[in-house]
Amino acid sequence: MDAQAQPITASVVPISRRATRSWAQRLFPYLLVAPTLVFVILFTLLPATRTVVDSTMEPGRRASDPFTFVGLENYGDLFNPSHHIGSRFTRILGNTLIFSLVTLGVSVPLALLFAMLLNRPIRFMGIWRFSLFYPSLLPLIGAASIWAFLYSDSIGLFNTILRSFGLQTINWTGDPNTVLWSIIGMNIWKQTGYYMIFYLAGLQSIPRDIYEAAALDGANFRQQFFALTLPLLRRTTLFVVVISSIFAFQTVEQLQALNQGNPADRGNLLLYFIFQNIGERRNWGYINAMTVILVAILLVFTISNFVFFEKGQEDE
Amino acid sequence: MKKTHVVSLTAFILVSLLLSLVPALAQDNAVTLDFYYPTAVDGPASQVIQGYADQFHQLYPNITVNPVYTGSYTQTRDTVQTEVNAGDVVVDVAVMLATDLFSFVEEESVVPVQTFIDEMDDAEAYVSDFFPAFMENGVDENGVIWSIPFQRSIPVMYYNADLLEAEGIAVPTNNEELLAAAQALTTAERWGLEVPVAGGFPIWLYQSFATAYGQPVSEADPTEVYFNTPESLAGLEFLTKLGTEYAVGPVGGSAWGDTPTDFTSGHAAMIYHTIGSLTSILQNADFTVGVSALPSGPAGTGVNDSGYGAPTGGGNLYIFASSTPEEQAAAWLWVQFLSSPEIQSDWGANFGYIAARQSAWELDPLKSLAAEHPQYLQSVDALQYATREFAAYRAIDIQNIINVALSSVISGSVPLEEAASVLATAQDQIDSLLADYK
Amino acid sequence: MSKRTFGSRLADAATVSLAFFWLIPLIFSLLMSFRPQAEPITIGNIFVGSRITFENYAAALQVAPWAWHYITSILFVFGVLAVQIVTVTMAGYAFARLRFRGRNLLLFVILLQLMIPSGVLLVQNFATIRALDLFDTRWALMLPYWGSAFGVLLMRQTFRGIPYELEEAARIDGASWLQIMRHVYVPLSIPAYVAFGLVSISSHWNEFLWPFIVTRTEEVRPLTVGLNKLYGTTEVGALYGQLMAGTLLVIAPLVILFILFQRRFIESFATSGIK
Repeated sequence: MDAQAQPITASVVPISRRATRSWAQRLFPYLLVAPTLVFVILFTLLPATRTVVDSTMEPGRRASDPFTFVGLENYGDLFNPSHHIGSRFTRILGNTLIFSLVTLGVSVPLALLFAMLLNRPIRFMGIWRFSLFYPSLLPLIGAASIWAFLYSDSIGLFNTILRSFGLQTINWTGDPNTVLWSIIGMNIWKQTGYYMIFYLAGLQSIPRDIYEAAALDGANFRQQFFALTLPLLRRTTLFVVVISSIFAFQTVEQLQALNQGNPADRGNLLLYFIFQNIGERRNWGYINAMTVILVAILLVFTISNFVFFEKGQEDE
Repeated sequence: MKKTHVVSLTAFILVSLLLSLVPALAQDNAVTLDFYYPTAVDGPASQVIQGYADQFHQLYPNITVNPVYTGSYTQTRDTVQTEVNAGDVVVDVAVMLATDLFSFVEEESVVPVQTFIDEMDDAEAYVSDFFPAFMENGVDENGVIWSIPFQRSIPVMYYNADLLEAEGIAVPTNNEELLAAAQALTTAERWGLEVPVAGGFPIWLYQSFATAYGQPVSEADPTEVYFNTPESLAGLEFLTKLGTEYAVGPVGGSAWGDTPTDFTSGHAAMIYHTIGSLTSILQNADFTVGVSALPSGPAGTGVNDSGYGAPTGGGNLYIFASSTPEEQAAAWLWVQFLSSPEIQSDWGANFGYIAARQSAWELDPLKSLAAEHPQYLQSVDALQYATREFAAYRAIDIQNIINVALSSVISGSVPLEEAASVLATAQDQIDSLLADYK
Repeated sequence: MSKRTFGSRLADAATVSLAFFWLIPLIFSLLMSFRPQAEPITIGNIFVGSRITFENYAAALQVAPWAWHYITSILFVFGVLAVQIVTVTMAGYAFARLRFRGRNLLLFVILLQLMIPSGVLLVQNFATIRALDLFDTRWALMLPYWGSAFGVLLMRQTFRGIPYELEEAARIDGASWLQIMRHVYVPLSIPAYVAFGLVSISSHWNEFLWPFIVTRTEEVRPLTVGLNKLYGTTEVGALYGQLMAGTLLVIAPLVILFILFQRRFIESFATSGIK
């Protein structure tokens, strides 16, 4: 297992070192990838291509009318402050960025902390593990309903507690200044346990003897954490950061139950906004343009993460 | 194998084949209808609808109705829109918001039921039995009827009658009395009046203020919206000040879902809410519940110059253009069945909707329920002051524009002094959307 | 390691207090589900109402054909997971260990699936399911999830962490690819598979929009559609007790499954500790 102590080992190796490979060997990787690829192409790639095309189109009045090509006009409208969608889009995009960065910045380190706490011998392990993970088991609409109750201004738990201490109550999801933070709070509670699972799996594949050797060398906890744990969890962190940013950008159901984007869009997020407009057929071009922008942001973020975390690890 | 066995086996097979053909023959002209309905009530609505479908099948054995639960009104519309956009419409009949009419008219996905009504022997009697306020949203600017009321409601004012009596306060009938009563009833633990406009849909209750101050948000012409008007501004100011200045209710309004509980548990003395909540409010309140029409604004305005005004709400029955003529004919039978006095009486009594047919109130179970709880009849009284709900072309977009504008003022995100400019900006956006339709 | 240092006591205390904090919503949803509907927590004792009632459960059970929803949800999540395990192992290995033309491009295409919110692709995917004649069947629920970018990425990351020397050694011993997977990669990746199984099951258990759009018959609709029905009652007033009762009914099987799975977790933890 000492190979794991040197994570820089070239990890991609050709299946055969012979210069010429048989057609079967050359075909083999594609066969492995094919089953996944078929479903991804059918249910994601093809419809997504259509999304890009439709983002340059404007539907006609009747459902049977053909679309009109309008070039990048839909994108322009999204940034036009007097347009019925454009006037809201930039604020909501800003909310989404704040929401994603804060959620990510808090829940990913917190998930690592959870995982490290639970990766130690402790009594009643099952209880603690369950307590921190169970929010991921809840359906979003159920979780959001619970939080709607916690946050309720008049009959909610938090305000009842504040009141019982004689404190000023907070209109958690009704006050324009607190609403975004309330959604972020709920989201951190919901998602952290989920990311914790991956850190736990990552921690468990680090052999204990590495730490024992480090401890013998006199390394304290902090040195062990920065010199061993963090670098060895590099792949896991890449995975968790990518996944959590994607999830944050795609938050919808929480808003449905908590605040419907209100008040005044101060608690609105991009994908929920897209769904708010999807019922009007004539917004189809805007829906697709907003989707393209959402995916483009995620792409940039994901690719830069891969570059950042995997530099020096590729053999090509 | 003996010969007789072969003969009897052959006979058996032949008979079976023939028998299996019988239902096929019988169902030669069989029609199956996919019926989409949203639910927004407490209770086993799906079972009740299935019961109606079974009854209907007994009346018309060649028609099978396949009821499909499609979530909320929004989810129902999005489901239908997905099918329309995919060019592959499954639904034959659906309950959708009465106010979504012009979106469907525009895209030509539904057919007007007027054509079927014209062929009825008793068309006049059928149409005039509906409460006029409920018919308004089913009709276009040329008087053509497109959809039939099914589960309709209006907002009313609920009040704690015991409390008002103990405090010696008369039931308020106009906004001045309302404010005075709310101020007198507000204590440290209790709001005098909660108006639930904090959620995603403030436009519905806001309309009652705009109408009561003299100008409904929309009228019969679906290409005109009146949002930036002095009446609208006055209504919005009154609504906002209930929280910020008079402090008789929470700033920003109360949350829609929590408001009935606030009322039944004594945290609010009076509330505005849908009549659809009456059943559960009566169940949970341990005091006498009063129901009245929403108080009026300045007299000489509003519906019939009474100063009163409340929008109707709820869902109508639509028939889809993509269905075959046979399916549409069957769909019309189903629509008539669901809008019959018998079903309206049963549906209203079960789930608290206002039966849309006047004759339904003469029939049990609604008749005896109303005799037991006079609040149900008070809702019918309130109906005379009700008017069409906001509807126009691009209704979804315009509702979004108006909801965000209202929310920004009511929640205090924008100060009240700037409300006029918020209304003006919103009106500009609305007008530019509607310019296409003039 | 058995000596309890100050640091480990502090960590214990942190674990317990974080866990308690995280449990508050669950504890209160349990309490609310047994509280009479007419009594919000502002009335009377904050923890328990004037009496314990099952009326919320009775009302929640009445709203939907839950037995069918349970069956569908179980078939749905396991039907998805069974296929996914195979597809993500294959593709994960290819992207972790094999060099082939177009590898990065194909990985990119697959990862797109993660980034594109499926909710905006409903129209085309609805049309595809109609064209495949799978509309309103349980197959329609499963099909789009059989390829999992999430799983491929996870297994790629996991397999890359396994020393290549182990595969080489097995290959020198004459092991076939299947044998290498069975004896090297899969056993060394059990924690990742368990993690993947957990998140795959819980996320599909909680999937709402897609099943809702491609099914119409109650019998082939999953639990979330039943829960959505309960949620619809907020139109006439938020019945928190019923909503909590319904939510707890929906997650009960998952909780049981987690408790079973988590024992596996501890086992895999123990075995990797021994090595």
